[in-house]
Amino acid sequence: MRRRFGYFAAAAAVLTLAACGSSGSTSNTSTSSGPVTITFWTWLDTSSTQQLAAEFTKSHPGIKVNVVNAGTSANEYTKLETADKAGKGGPDVAQIEYFALPQFALSSQVVNLNSYGAQSLKSLYAPSAWAGVTINGGVYGFPQDTGPMAMFYRADLFQKAGLQPPATWAQFASDAVIIHSKLPKTYIANMDPTDPGTATSLMWQAGAKPFQTAGTSNVTLNLSQSGVQQWASLWSGLLSKKLLATDAGWTTAWWSAMAAGKYATWITGAWAPAPIAANIPQTDGDWKVVPMPQWTAGASVTANNGGSSDAVMATSQHKAQAAEFANWLNSSPQGTQDLANLGLFPATTSLLSNSGFLNASVKVLGGQQANKVLAASASEVPAGWQYLPFQVYANSVYVDTLGQNITAGTNLSPGLTAWQQRIASYGQSNGFTVKTGS
Amino acid sequence: MTRREAPHVKHGKSRKKSSALTAAMALMLIYTLLPLAWLLINSTKDTQSLFSSFGLSFGHGFRLWTNIHDVLTVNGGIYLRWFANTVLYAVVGAGGAAVIATAGGYALAKYSFRGRTALFAIVLGAISVPGTALAVPTYLLFAKLNLINTPWAVIIPSLASPFGLYLMRIYAIGAIPDSLLEAARIDGAGEFRVFRTISLRLLAPGFVTVLLFALVATWNNYFLPLIVLSNPRWYPLTVGLAQWNSSATGATGAGSTSFYPLIITGSMLAIIPLIVCFLFLQRFWQSGLAAGSVKQ
Repeated sequence: MRRRFGYFAAAAAVLTLAACGSSGSTSNTSTSSGPVTITFWTWLDTSSTQQLAAEFTKSHPGIKVNVVNAGTSANEYTKLETADKAGKGGPDVAQIEYFALPQFALSSQVVNLNSYGAQSLKSLYAPSAWAGVTINGGVYGFPQDTGPMAMFYRADLFQKAGLQPPATWAQFASDAVIIHSKLPKTYIANMDPTDPGTATSLMWQAGAKPFQTAGTSNVTLNLSQSGVQQWASLWSGLLSKKLLATDAGWTTAWWSAMAAGKYATWITGAWAPAPIAANIPQTDGDWKVVPMPQWTAGASVTANNGGSSDAVMATSQHKAQAAEFANWLNSSPQGTQDLANLGLFPATTSLLSNSGFLNASVKVLGGQQANKVLAASASEVPAGWQYLPFQVYANSVYVDTLGQNITAGTNLSPGLTAWQQRIASYGQSNGFTVKTGS
Repeated sequence: MTRREAPHVKHGKSRKKSSALTAAMALMLIYTLLPLAWLLINSTKDTQSLFSSFGLSFGHGFRLWTNIHDVLTVNGGIYLRWFANTVLYAVVGAGGAAVIATAGGYALAKYSFRGRTALFAIVLGAISVPGTALAVPTYLLFAKLNLINTPWAVIIPSLASPFGLYLMRIYAIGAIPDSLLEAARIDGAGEFRVFRTISLRLLAPGFVTVLLFALVATWNNYFLPLIVLSNPRWYPLTVGLAQWNSSATGATGAGSTSFYPLIITGSMLAIIPLIVCFLFLQRFWQSGLAAGSVKQ
């Protein structure tokens, strides 16, 4: 071990890790027999990420990284769970989204990185990103990217309808009527019946905390609290007046509708410009971004939608080296800059306050200096939001419960009740104590 | 009798029926071919016209060859690798499954031994267990054998085809007369020679049927390889294309390159071998399906 630390000291960003690495629990047997190869599961573009990893190996010759795309999101999580059960076959480092991290952390499938000095990195990251990896007092991942929300809108359509983008949800609701009457083929927004992530983030913005976990297994579930109800009554009203489109997202039909201007706004995470530019370049310049609508006029409250962390797996044979790499990737100037170049929205305060980043003009948004809006959003995410320790399951049954109401265009209340019931019974049958609030 | 009494009525009736049937079949044909047509038409479009033209009409420009070129070259030609993997899994897995099912079905049909009925009952029971339910236990088992993330983890489970075994037993009972086997034995042929030179030939249509079933099953196998393989270099087409698809969708960090034309063109290329197999082997398929349904 000791010899290895000589290499590590090279990178300033990882000094803390090297110092604390000796307290790590790994019994690394291969130290004396040449470099260690660790495996990194991520669904970032494999070849670019492999190049990034090669940069890491240049400054850390003792650690080679094998980048593998083992699947995206839920597909990858299924594999991680299976590999954990078998005790092998999993990676050393894995990309895990914030919504899924509690599931892996509370079941000890990923390592508490405080054993590797992660607590000292807190100041490097946007507080909302750090909150996303802090679970039950431990730190379970290095924030890789974030999705502070904003409202992307079609400036061309708003102009045709003679409207300014809405600043409050009340204006959003009244604009919904106007825009659809002036442009009958256009709706104010699409409510995706297959997208629990956006729905929960909008509840988050409304001040709701429907999922709370104490310890590792005491879950309080409350989808009837006021923030959730506020969200439900706004969107139920729009649905019942047929003022929303309700198409499944990310399908070819959805992209076609995006290109054709069926949806006037897309309220989502800061990562949106990259997929718009890649898939519907014909709308380049038609889009703009403004802060998301507010519940109280003049307020500035946002939420996170999406974003990932990189976690070290409990089954890894090289935890210290894995933590070393994940740390470098997500906190070193080079690693974070390269991630941002891949189109990820940064999680580090240094990039979020970097003038080059803030002043960059985004082509797909008509040259707007969009990062100013998006970086501001990152600092306005309310604290205290938690995801369930079985959010992956909860999200998978959203489409069967709330999704049904959305597609049918009916009141969301029965869907919320049904969703809560499905979540509660799953939690109970999987060994959690679930208290449902009312 | 009835035919002689009212031939015209009967004739007219059956003709009417058949035109209704033809219309129904035509609808069915359209229903079946429509997705294929969509796939073909849309594999000629680039991202932009994919999202700005009607699904069943051509977009601006004919980009099929460019798309095919992109599919075959993206990520260092990983698609070709997936294609080769699928062929490997299908040929070794389905071929092996057909051989094992034929030998086993023949044995169950033509030899009486202790426990034969019980064995057959177990095989019948195994048909009702969906492969998907066994994927995770299979993973745990293969993890102990250090076979996960190797082609064997996909090939070995594909070798077992309970339905094939069942089908071959039924087929062997009908297709091979016991007297023929007796004659061969009296002439001094050993059991293996009897199987190889006589039975196997008689079983050929059944063999091809099982082969086709197994081929379709392994070609389309998705969940098992998804679970047991984590290295993209061993993926079959199903898992690889699904991965491209999820790269195109909303999960964080994905979606910054447009994979849609690749997915559509890749899917189109992936179904061609199966279509070719069906066109060449469907004669056997039909005769195999009918086998065992009529008591001789």
